[in-house]
Amino acid sequence: MMDPITRRELLRRAALGGAAVSLPSLLAACGGDGIEGQETTTGEAAGTTTVSQELADQLVIANWTFYIDINEKTKKRPTLEQFKRDTGVSVRYIEEVNDNEEWFGKYQAQLKAGDDIGRDIVVLSDWMVARMIKLGYLQKKDKSAIPNEENLQDALKSPGWDPNRDYSLPWQSGLTGIAYNKKTIGKVTTMDQLLTDPKLKGKVTFLTEMPDTMGLLIAAQGGDPENVTDEAFDSAISALQDAVDSGQIRRFTGNDYVEDLASGNVWAAMAWSGDVAAGIDNPNIEFTVVDTGSHIWTDNMLIPNGGDVFTASTFMNYVYDPVKAAQIAAYIYYVTPVKGAEDQIAQFDETAVGNPLIFPTEEMLSKTFIFDADAADKAEYKEKFQAVIGA
Amino acid sequence: MSIAAEQLPAPRRFDLSARAVAAARHHLLTLFAILALVYLLLPIAVVVAFSFNDPVGRFNFTWGSFTLDNWANPFGFPDLRGAVVLSLEIAALSSIAATILGTLIALALVRYHFRGRGATNLLIFLPMASPEIVMGSSLLTLFLNYSIPLGFATILIAHIMFNISYVVVTVRARLAGHDRHLEEAAMDLFATPWATFYRVTLPLIAPGVLAAGLLAFALSVDDFVITYLVSGSDQTFPLFVWGAARVAVPPQINVIGTMVFAAALVLMFLNIAFQWRRSPKGAA
Amino acid sequence: MNFFHRHRALVPYLLLLPGLAWLALFFVVPMYYLGYTSLQAGDLFSGYTFAWAWDNYSDAFTLYRGHFIRSLEYAGVATLAAFLISYPLAYWIAFRGGRWKNFLLLLVIAPFFVTYLIRTLAWKTILADQGFVVDALRTLHLVGEDGRLLATTTAVVAGITYNFLPFMALPLYVSLEQIDKRLIEAAQDLYASRVKAFLRVTFPLSLPGVFAGTLLTFIPAAGDFINAELLGTPRQLMIGNVIQSQFKEVANYPQAAALSFVLMAGIVIAVLLYARAVGSERVTAGTAA
Repeated sequence: MMDPITRRELLRRAALGGAAVSLPSLLAACGGDGIEGQETTTGEAAGTTTVSQELADQLVIANWTFYIDINEKTKKRPTLEQFKRDTGVSVRYIEEVNDNEEWFGKYQAQLKAGDDIGRDIVVLSDWMVARMIKLGYLQKKDKSAIPNEENLQDALKSPGWDPNRDYSLPWQSGLTGIAYNKKTIGKVTTMDQLLTDPKLKGKVTFLTEMPDTMGLLIAAQGGDPENVTDEAFDSAISALQDAVDSGQIRRFTGNDYVEDLASGNVWAAMAWSGDVAAGIDNPNIEFTVVDTGSHIWTDNMLIPNGGDVFTASTFMNYVYDPVKAAQIAAYIYYVTPVKGAEDQIAQFDETAVGNPLIFPTEEMLSKTFIFDADAADKAEYKEKFQAVIGA
Repeated sequence: MSIAAEQLPAPRRFDLSARAVAAARHHLLTLFAILALVYLLLPIAVVVAFSFNDPVGRFNFTWGSFTLDNWANPFGFPDLRGAVVLSLEIAALSSIAATILGTLIALALVRYHFRGRGATNLLIFLPMASPEIVMGSSLLTLFLNYSIPLGFATILIAHIMFNISYVVVTVRARLAGHDRHLEEAAMDLFATPWATFYRVTLPLIAPGVLAAGLLAFALSVDDFVITYLVSGSDQTFPLFVWGAARVAVPPQINVIGTMVFAAALVLMFLNIAFQWRRSPKGAA
Repeated sequence: MNFFHRHRALVPYLLLLPGLAWLALFFVVPMYYLGYTSLQAGDLFSGYTFAWAWDNYSDAFTLYRGHFIRSLEYAGVATLAAFLISYPLAYWIAFRGGRWKNFLLLLVIAPFFVTYLIRTLAWKTILADQGFVVDALRTLHLVGEDGRLLATTTAVVAGITYNFLPFMALPLYVSLEQIDKRLIEAAQDLYASRVKAFLRVTFPLSLPGVFAGTLLTFIPAAGDFINAELLGTPRQLMIGNVIQSQFKEVANYPQAAALSFVLMAGIVIAVLLYARAVGSERVTAGTAA
């Protein structure tokens, strides 16, 4: 090997040594800080974990775009700067997640082999967390370092795939609806318009996330996206296929629909609630929930194998402080999972107070659904969906 | 757009007088060639122009306003510097390795008669005749089957592999044109093959080897598809651009692109100038 | 030293060994693993194991036939377009370039020095719905009021043509440049027509360049996925898009490997036939520029 041996390389090799013994727990052991031989032992009872209690110099976070506060002038991220000031840990923040499946595919080979992927925290959606837990690609977080976890909204405390929140902690929740350019197309509020309005031909994008696209379509057809049936799925798929074949749908996108929408290539898009506020500097673009049903989802902070558990947990604790949570929410306009943030947000942004995108109203929530967790990662559905969106 | 415009220079008009045809063709051809050059260079102009853009939002696709900030701060975007450095490291190492391996093969092919020549030619030719996605995916399956960690080493292995053939072909083309008798005479004089190699063969093939090395360097820096498949979490410059195409296209990408372009142009100009001085003829 | 004198016959093999070993290990052997992987079965959760799973191949032909055909079509049209643009250009440089030959040639190769992806992203800017090209075409009524260029078949094919054009132009130039001008003059005297002279002498003499250029353009074009991804819609996706997404997104390695293998087999067969017809050294010789 000709590469200079970096700390990461050493970790990777340490992890590889673990892979030879082929025990996931051993892998986790090498993960924390393999060089010094500090151990991660997994407690049996309530997922209590004891790990190295020493902070690393650097924390690497992989996240979606438009998902943390940023100062547009200096390009610095206030929350991360403050974290460094308070803890001494500098954060390398990588905006590399555009789509759950794509991120997973990029690192799957390495995660499977037990290599360190060089990320301490990654933020992924519920159904992908379920998959990664099942595959043993994640480490348990250090709950002793996260006293602020008590601020987690009650509704999010015990999802079926991680009942004790051993592995995951919500980053943000959000809604999937429609963003449209009111200047070029007027109001677009229904899935039907997206799928068939001839004025929007070739000017519409849908999301590559199956739960978003299929959930909204099934709901629009009167089906129940919380308990997906084969009939409902197939009928929604054929509607989608028709829209692809007719040239109505221009592309399937991750976060990158923002670019097409902003540049005017696209006039209406299936979109995530916060992006319009944080990512598009254009007063003509508006976001709306869909009356027939919008998807409400949650993205979670996770610690992939090889990540530094203690430092990652410390960061989780940091952003679960209501003031920090409010600071982030005031910028990115997603639904914060942290209790008490609502009382703090005024100091960052007066207009954010009571903003339904951050603090959804009862009326808004009544129009939402949570996509069927089993259907979200069902191979048969995935295959059908992939075949339509192409590739 | 240009597809509609392109046509071979009107071969059907020979009922007109030959002179008129010739004149018309002369200008048609020139006009056409200029259009073709515009087509080739238009995107480059856009790349360069947009390196001075101060975009609205995070995608450098529409014109905002003029700025020199991007040039003042070419690495002012997280991870860009690391990606450029990795690209240069890989390109340097892989081009050196491939140039050595490929030059040896070219020497064997031009200077010696041996059995297995056809098979050798085939093995050199196949990598050039394979789609990159196939080479990348087959290497990936090899690495996956042996659980070889993806990263610097795997990228380097792949780059050396796809560069060898191009080196062989380039060096062989230069070698084939040279006079063997010089070497034979040298062999008689110096009597050792090493001395012959250093004093005669190497100076003879040096321009070809240099050209091959530069070609390999360029191919390595530009490679996306194979690198994408075998890279793991390491990121070369093209991979950075690919990631950026989805989440944010900073104008710094255009700055780096323009720099690489300018550097290549300077090198080529020097090469041309050098050849101009040595002889009026000779391809770049 | 003495070793080389005593074993002169060994020298070429020693020269060949390191390079060919590298190619064998990292080009030939991986092909075996590609085939091996393509016959695996399983899923993400239980892992993939070897199972003579031929259905990966039947899936490749049934589910993705459209993508294969589209790839060949796009690559074919792009190759033809690249030829039609490059030939007059190469001819012009070779016979009219004079002292500026090398400089003009440099302009042809220049795009090659801007990273592939950046070039393609530049096309995205140029062809954008609100961009100046579409505006101009709308004013000229060459596209309709709501017509567009980006995200169309034309954009994808034009992108492919553009990106691989130097691969066509260079071999063409090399073969045209090597033609002895006296031959053409003699032909013009003989046939008394430039067109006839071109068709009977110049063009046949440039055929090695045509062959090499065609190969060097068609092959990468058939496996490309970047242009379809950046400039197209789901209706323009090519087989390369499927392979990359099966490998890097869905992580269905056996299916991806089978598709890759089919693409490779098809191209190898075509190339071998082609090389046999033309002579492999002639094909490869044209590629050196």
